[in-house]
Amino acid sequence: MLELQNLTRRFGARAAVDDVSLSVPAGQMVGIIGRSGAGKSTLLRMVNRLTEPTSGRILHDGTDVTALRGKALRDWRTRCAMIFQQFNLVQRLDVLTNVLVGRLNHRPGPWGTISSLFLRFSPEERAMALDALDRFDLAEQALQRADTLSGGQQQRVAIARAMLQEPKLLLADEPIASLDPRNARVVMEALRDVNRRDGLTVLVNLHHLDTARRYCDRIIAMQDGRIVFDGPPAALDARQVHAIYGVPEEALEAETPHAPASAVPA
Amino acid sequence: MSAAADVSRWKARLPAAFGPSPRQRAFRIAGGTLFLAWLAWALWLFDITPQRLWNGLSGLFTIIRLMIPPLPGELWQDILKGIAESVAMAFLGTVLAAVFAIPLGFLGARNIVTSTLLRFSLRRVFDGLRGVDQLIWALAFVRAVGLGPLAGVLALFVSDLATLSKLYAEAIENAERRQAEGVVAAGGSHLMAVRFGILPQVLPLMLAQALYFFESNTRSASILGVVGAGGIGLQIAERIKVRHWDEVAFIIILMVITVGVIDWIGGKLRRRLIGGRDIS
Repeated sequence: MLELQNLTRRFGARAAVDDVSLSVPAGQMVGIIGRSGAGKSTLLRMVNRLTEPTSGRILHDGTDVTALRGKALRDWRTRCAMIFQQFNLVQRLDVLTNVLVGRLNHRPGPWGTISSLFLRFSPEERAMALDALDRFDLAEQALQRADTLSGGQQQRVAIARAMLQEPKLLLADEPIASLDPRNARVVMEALRDVNRRDGLTVLVNLHHLDTARRYCDRIIAMQDGRIVFDGPPAALDARQVHAIYGVPEEALEAETPHAPASAVPA
Repeated sequence: MSAAADVSRWKARLPAAFGPSPRQRAFRIAGGTLFLAWLAWALWLFDITPQRLWNGLSGLFTIIRLMIPPLPGELWQDILKGIAESVAMAFLGTVLAAVFAIPLGFLGARNIVTSTLLRFSLRRVFDGLRGVDQLIWALAFVRAVGLGPLAGVLALFVSDLATLSKLYAEAIENAERRQAEGVVAAGGSHLMAVRFGILPQVLPLMLAQALYFFESNTRSASILGVVGAGGIGLQIAERIKVRHWDEVAFIIILMVITVGVIDWIGGKLRRRLIGGRDIS
């Protein structure tokens, strides 16, 4: 169970996330929707502690995540894996090594550090990484450099890297905003698969309402840093959509055809 | 399915994922051995032993003892004049080189000049000029235009011109195409695409590099004086000859402060240039 209590983040005078309280039971797939600048990314980044909250608390199974420091913080980040809109892979490293990055915090002691610095991973770890890549049909590309892959492939490598962390949670920040419709579907299905088969809690930021409706158990809508809707997809009616996006849903669909065509920075 | 079975299955399917092949390993070991042998040979050739390094160190300590305390001496006005001259030489040499390097950089860039012959010959000229050290240029110009700062300025100008042209050409080649494409798509000529699509991208980099060169040239200018090309170097050489190490130390400290101040100002400017947007 992930709990956010009165979470707030200010950038100067503006509150990007404003007094958000929320609880997510383990194994749920949650879609967070809203316009650009509504605070979705900041919310997700605070859960991973990439962005520090100004006030409020984050609890996971009773542990106060906001108080963690050093090794305990790195352990928490390992438990809540994150994937990004721009994939955040290391372009000049091969795919396999990128995936093995997910193991770094599982290699304790000075020997673990030294062997990591020299890219010495055990055969078991390599096989594990190849299994993860194979699951997303990428075993053939394991030895290619990451920048030779298409966007959709890179995002799946990022998911494989996340899976090697053996996380409890998966945070996905606009994972399909830079992808074409077909790749977007493949990535969303991969996310749903790790949610269903591995039982991971998935929190995914999405621009598009219909994607959230199709894949998520629960939808949270944000506007100006606050939660304005929280419920099952079926409960989200036309009036609420109008309030969230500022236009009726029909107009929204006309504006944004089913393809999330181009990269829209959050 | 056990982990061990997994490993053997993957090893069979993708052996390269589990480390280098015996052939690659042999090549790496051979390469490493060759490198170490070369290193050992170079050390042997110059008879570099801990003994000799240790003896040299004690000689160095004697000089350092003679340097303390650093004193300006009686001719301190000459020292200040020499430093001012060195900074002026560096400034003049760098500015001239940077200005002339901009057009040459564009002519040497693959994405601007499509004529391979012109570009190739120009870049070989840069390489040739760079192959000759600043000090050699200084000696040549001292013969050509006589003792004094002019020889130093010319030496800095020629050697920096070649290096900056090459750096600028590379910066231009790494510029993003798409921005220039936007200008072309709007009906702009090739020249306009360069002016509006490329120059704004590379100008901050060019200025930043020129600032680096100014700082580094201030140091070089102190050496050029030793061969008679003006600046503080002459003062240093004279004092070393008569073993006034305390005054040499004074000059060195002043040089360090001067270079430090230039670097500090340059750093501030660089941050503004590269971070800023209103460069046109």
